[in-house]
Amino acid sequence: MNENAPAVKPHHTVNYMSESQASESARPSETLAIEPEHHKRARTLIDIEHVDFFYGKSHALHDINLKIKEKLVTAFIGPSGCGKSTLLRCLNRMNDLIDGTRVANGAIKIHGVDIYNPDVDVIELRKRVGMVFQKSNPFPKSIYENIVYGLRLQGINNKSRLDEVVERSLRGAALWEEVRDRLHDSALGLSGGQQQRLCIARAIAVEPEIILMDEPCSALDPIATAKVEELIHELKKDYTIVIVTHNMQQAGRCSDMTAFFYLGKLIEFDATEKIFTNPSQKQTEDYITGRFG
Amino acid sequence: MSTSAKIKRLDQRPMKDAILSKNKFRFLGLTLDDFIKYFFQGNAMIAIVVLALITISLFSSGIWFIPQNYQNLVVYRQAGLEYVDYLRQEIDDHTALTRYLSNLRLQQMQLLLKEGKSPEEAQTALAPLDAFIAAYGDAATPLNDMLSEQTDIASAIKDKHNSQQEELHGRELLLKAGKKEEAAALQVEPIDFKASVQPLLDMRDAYIEANGIFAETLSNLIFHPPRMVSRSLQPKMDRFRELSRTYLIELPKYEDQILNWEQFKPIPKYKAVTSFLFGRQWLTASFWQDWYGIIPLLVGSLTVSFVALVIAIPFGVGAAIYINQIASPTEQNLIKPYIEFISAIPSVVLGFFGIAVLGQSMRWLSQQEWLAWVPGFPIQERLNIFTAGALLALMAVPTIFTLTEDAINNVPRAFKEASYALGATRLQTILKIMIPASLSGIISAVLLGLGRVVGETMVVLLCAGGRIEIPDFTQGLGAFFQPVHTMTGIIAQEMGEVVQGSIHFHALFMVGIILFLLSLVINYLAQQVVHKYKISIG
Repeated sequence: MNENAPAVKPHHTVNYMSESQASESARPSETLAIEPEHHKRARTLIDIEHVDFFYGKSHALHDINLKIKEKLVTAFIGPSGCGKSTLLRCLNRMNDLIDGTRVANGAIKIHGVDIYNPDVDVIELRKRVGMVFQKSNPFPKSIYENIVYGLRLQGINNKSRLDEVVERSLRGAALWEEVRDRLHDSALGLSGGQQQRLCIARAIAVEPEIILMDEPCSALDPIATAKVEELIHELKKDYTIVIVTHNMQQAGRCSDMTAFFYLGKLIEFDATEKIFTNPSQKQTEDYITGRFG
Repeated sequence: MSTSAKIKRLDQRPMKDAILSKNKFRFLGLTLDDFIKYFFQGNAMIAIVVLALITISLFSSGIWFIPQNYQNLVVYRQAGLEYVDYLRQEIDDHTALTRYLSNLRLQQMQLLLKEGKSPEEAQTALAPLDAFIAAYGDAATPLNDMLSEQTDIASAIKDKHNSQQEELHGRELLLKAGKKEEAAALQVEPIDFKASVQPLLDMRDAYIEANGIFAETLSNLIFHPPRMVSRSLQPKMDRFRELSRTYLIELPKYEDQILNWEQFKPIPKYKAVTSFLFGRQWLTASFWQDWYGIIPLLVGSLTVSFVALVIAIPFGVGAAIYINQIASPTEQNLIKPYIEFISAIPSVVLGFFGIAVLGQSMRWLSQQEWLAWVPGFPIQERLNIFTAGALLALMAVPTIFTLTEDAINNVPRAFKEASYALGATRLQTILKIMIPASLSGIISAVLLGLGRVVGETMVVLLCAGGRIEIPDFTQGLGAFFQPVHTMTGIIAQEMGEVVQGSIHFHALFMVGIILFLLSLVINYLAQQVVHKYKISIG
């Protein structure tokens, strides 16, 4: 992890609109002359191997193979019902909560460990793999209590420690300035965009390694969306992010790698730039150019 | 219209004709739509009208209780019953002290027998105590004689008054029927309360004399009470001495009451209501004086309901959480209908079960040595607050279960997912997210369960024991093993045999009103809780 970290770090500091040019100039040119090259060099964190997934009898995912790199943003795109959210929810075993679901084949390995192995502690897994949902879902508690929920679960009740985490998480989620005076007000009084950033703050409060985002901006207006996207860029410093999105521009703007799914199959997975400028599959090109989906 | 060649409409008419062809069917000037509207409107109206009628009839009958009860209280005073009751109170308090002594003797006896003494030896050892008890009790004999004499006089006055009232009533009926001559023939002698009560007042001097001797005897007796044979019981004897002393100090109070009694002192109007609302006695069809105090019935209803809720809440809420959050679909399909089926059991069957099985086994259990630590064990009566409460709990569980499950179901799935995604265990999610988020629903479920329990009649009538008395709460938790009577039970039991239009009849209506108001408040609270604390979602 450490040997790759400095190579990745400069990447997010630049304006994402002119990402490739700016990052090239900011980086030692001999190691990462070409943008996708550095992606290839980043270490694989999540290794999805030949995964088949079923909802009862319906076959939702077919033989998915995917390697998600550390400290990059990976976007899952594709039309509705293509299985991208399903795959995302497999990564922290949220699908366990739905009756009749199962991973039939293959393995999902994080740090080389198959997370569907019976010895895996799902609770620990979810502490390390945080999640932000499509619809912002703060608990009907105060802002403060929302953030510290995950810590309280782990038995941390030290006031100064919690205060510190609250401030750090809210700063991390670019929400601190807006809510610092009303930490003990109900979280349900926040606007939609603030609620979603609160959910992100809540997810990073437990210091996960990976953050899964399931269409985090689909219920937000463009300004709130821009803020969350900016935040994703910031978070990339410290976290590996997997984001499901319907918004093609969003995938283009904030991700490093993009996976295109169609009808439960992974059609193409490559650097975002390549997918959006020169996709190798016809279906990908049709989808991206808006010919269907 | 030119492109419509391709479209095959069901209705081939031109649009202009079609939209103007409103159904012209009318009957009595009403269209079919109107009929349907009025039909449903009528149904809704009938429900409201019936409810209003019930309320009105309840209140219009119950309201008559107030003047009747006032009259009841006036007669109580003017016929001298109140005067006699002062003396009765003095003697009753003395009797209570004597009973305390007798209990003490019983305990001493048991202790001696346990120590291995033969009954004869024990009797001998107890001889001084027996003599003391006899002397203590006998001290009140002159007063007792006086009381029975006075009671006879007062009840004779009251009987006379009552028969006079009946005659008056009969004359009114005759007049109404137009039989004037017969009415005139029916002479009604007005009763002179003042003259009738005079013999009672004449006894005052004798009373004061007797009371003086009584006080002296008692104070002499408690100056040298016998020592208890067992040292462990001595504190109780000391306590008796203390109680006796207080009684003696308070003796002049009774005397004052008797001497200062005013026969024609007006009774405040509000007493007619407060003697009902705060009255601690419900005594009907007595030869002496009827009391209609709702407190014993109210306390009975509330204690039974309390026990029922204490049992039903953990079961109902627990089962709902289990079914909704933990159980597998197979278990859900098995347990849910099963719990809901409980509400289909007729309450009289439950009552039967309560008497035959629960009451019996409770008594058997309470007599077991290893359960002697439970307060109130061994129980005196197999039918008591607990028996009724346990059965009512069974009836409240389905209500609480179903509504709690609904409430938990209404918690957005997103809360649960968010909690799990933060690494919460199932238990943590249930305790920290699901229950707080559905708390308002759970509270209202409990309140509605309470409403059901308070209004339940058959089970309490059969299993609560039917003793119209406030439980003795000085026994602590043991009080919950005493028999009580409830508001619903008393109405069901006495309504059938009461004379229509009598004060008793109207008193039962008053109990009905209180019950009605209680249920109303409970239901209103349940609705308010849901409204006020409803979680806003998203």
